[in-house]
Amino acid sequence: MELRVEGISTAYDRADVLEDVTLDVAAGRITCLLGSNGSGKTTLIRSILGLTKPRRGRILFGGTDLTRLPTHRIVASGIAAIPEGRKVFPRLTVTENLRLGAYLETDAHIVTDRMERVFAIFPALAQRRSQIAGTMSGGEQAMVSIGRGLMSAPKLLLVDEPSLGLSPLFVKENFAVLRKVNESGVTVFLVEQNVHQTLAIAHEGYVLSKGRVVAHGTAQELLENDEVRKAYFGEGAA
Amino acid sequence: MTLALFAQYVMNGAMLGMMYALVAVGFTLFFGVLDVIQFSHGDVLAAGAFLALGTWVALTKLGVVSPVLLLAAVVVVSALGTALLGAVFARTLVLPLKGAPQLNVLLVTLMMGTVLREAIRLFYPGGSQPQLFPALLPTTAYGVGGFHLRLDNAILLMAGALLIAATHFFITRTRIGLAIRAVAQDEETARTMGIDFRRIVLVTFGIGSALAAVAGVMDGLYYNEIFFGMGLLLGVIGFAAAIIGGLGNLYGAILGGFLFAALQTIGAVALPFASAYKDVFAFAVVIAIMAARPTGLIGERASERV
Repeated sequence: MELRVEGISTAYDRADVLEDVTLDVAAGRITCLLGSNGSGKTTLIRSILGLTKPRRGRILFGGTDLTRLPTHRIVASGIAAIPEGRKVFPRLTVTENLRLGAYLETDAHIVTDRMERVFAIFPALAQRRSQIAGTMSGGEQAMVSIGRGLMSAPKLLLVDEPSLGLSPLFVKENFAVLRKVNESGVTVFLVEQNVHQTLAIAHEGYVLSKGRVVAHGTAQELLENDEVRKAYFGEGAA
Repeated sequence: MTLALFAQYVMNGAMLGMMYALVAVGFTLFFGVLDVIQFSHGDVLAAGAFLALGTWVALTKLGVVSPVLLLAAVVVVSALGTALLGAVFARTLVLPLKGAPQLNVLLVTLMMGTVLREAIRLFYPGGSQPQLFPALLPTTAYGVGGFHLRLDNAILLMAGALLIAATHFFITRTRIGLAIRAVAQDEETARTMGIDFRRIVLVTFGIGSALAAVAGVMDGLYYNEIFFGMGLLLGVIGFAAAIIGGLGNLYGAILGGFLFAALQTIGAVALPFASAYKDVFAFAVVIAIMAARPTGLIGERASERV
């Protein structure tokens, strides 16, 4: 399903505000949002999830207005998040973390099926089912976080900075997983700082700078766009 | 000390420990999901005990005589009624204050406790006087050596142990229990899993309050007497037990409850000339523990919170 953000303005903290942001995440595609720290990327994800309510504007998912819904209802409409910094539940086991990803699913067989699918994607997790997530390495926690995001069989997956703090090898593997997930029919909205790897898997994207959309186009167009360079190597880097 | 006397002390200590643990689990659960200290928790316990007594009075007036039926009705009405009280309390006073300074929440729960306590004193018939609590369990005693094991005490101990085990099972093995633990660890991420945060808070307050009500009924059945201010000391002890165990930690709260009861019992044995000082002794040791280990015996960082 398609996600549409219409003219939202949100204040999260002083450094990370959105000013009249409009964008579309097309169904079945990978859309990325590029921007440096403090450009408003995380605030946008928080707005979509209802964690920080926008002051103005609306957020539509497949035609349904999500703007005033509480977070658990937004999630129930088919949206899952892989949050920035992974945010695994540190004192729960791998299995419990994954179970929570499918919290709204009460059929034990479906949950088991999905968990086996996650273990097929990340065989390393299968051997560590009972390990407490907080005791795992960053790369392993990233697998738990991605796996947990897939457990609800979402229609739309919001991914916030999956490359943060990971080694290049892990980043590459995780991006390959995201591409596969997208090929299986899941719409992906990928928020990243890592321009080249992101544009390598994204179909299209937006560039956010100081809370505003400054560029929009296909991945190829963005690679050649001056605004992108400016946002990253000009003011954004300062 | 004879072996029989020793057994008597252990029995009494275990009974107290069970009650304290039930109260402490509530404190630790509330703190886990909402980071609040529910200072009226002890008075909620007293309300549960009086609800139980009121149910018994009403049913006996209606002509119910079956002891099993009476006991079941008293426990169920008290537990459910108090669970509702706790949930309403959370919904109307604690949740709206989310995001307010901690001191405000503390003040509101303290005042709510006073309101509950005074309401029992003023509105329960004869509430300002201690009330006789009916012996709903068989009081047959079995002599083992010089030790008298009363059947009602044995039943109370077993019921308490089963309830604590059931609570533990609920928190660690069920879907709602998993949601409670997730909320305790990271509320926002828990919400993005589709967990209805407010509902989990209400369920948690309901469960914690029901456990306090059962502790209140146990207290009534054990001492055959309840009193409108009974929750004050039990509340402080439960809170102390939860803190000793590392607030937010389920095992810690249970351990803390039994530890406090053990301290009281040791105090009573060690100070036979003045066993009235057993509480002073126990609290003094708790203060010493706090001074030595400010985060409790099981530090929160090192253990699983809720």
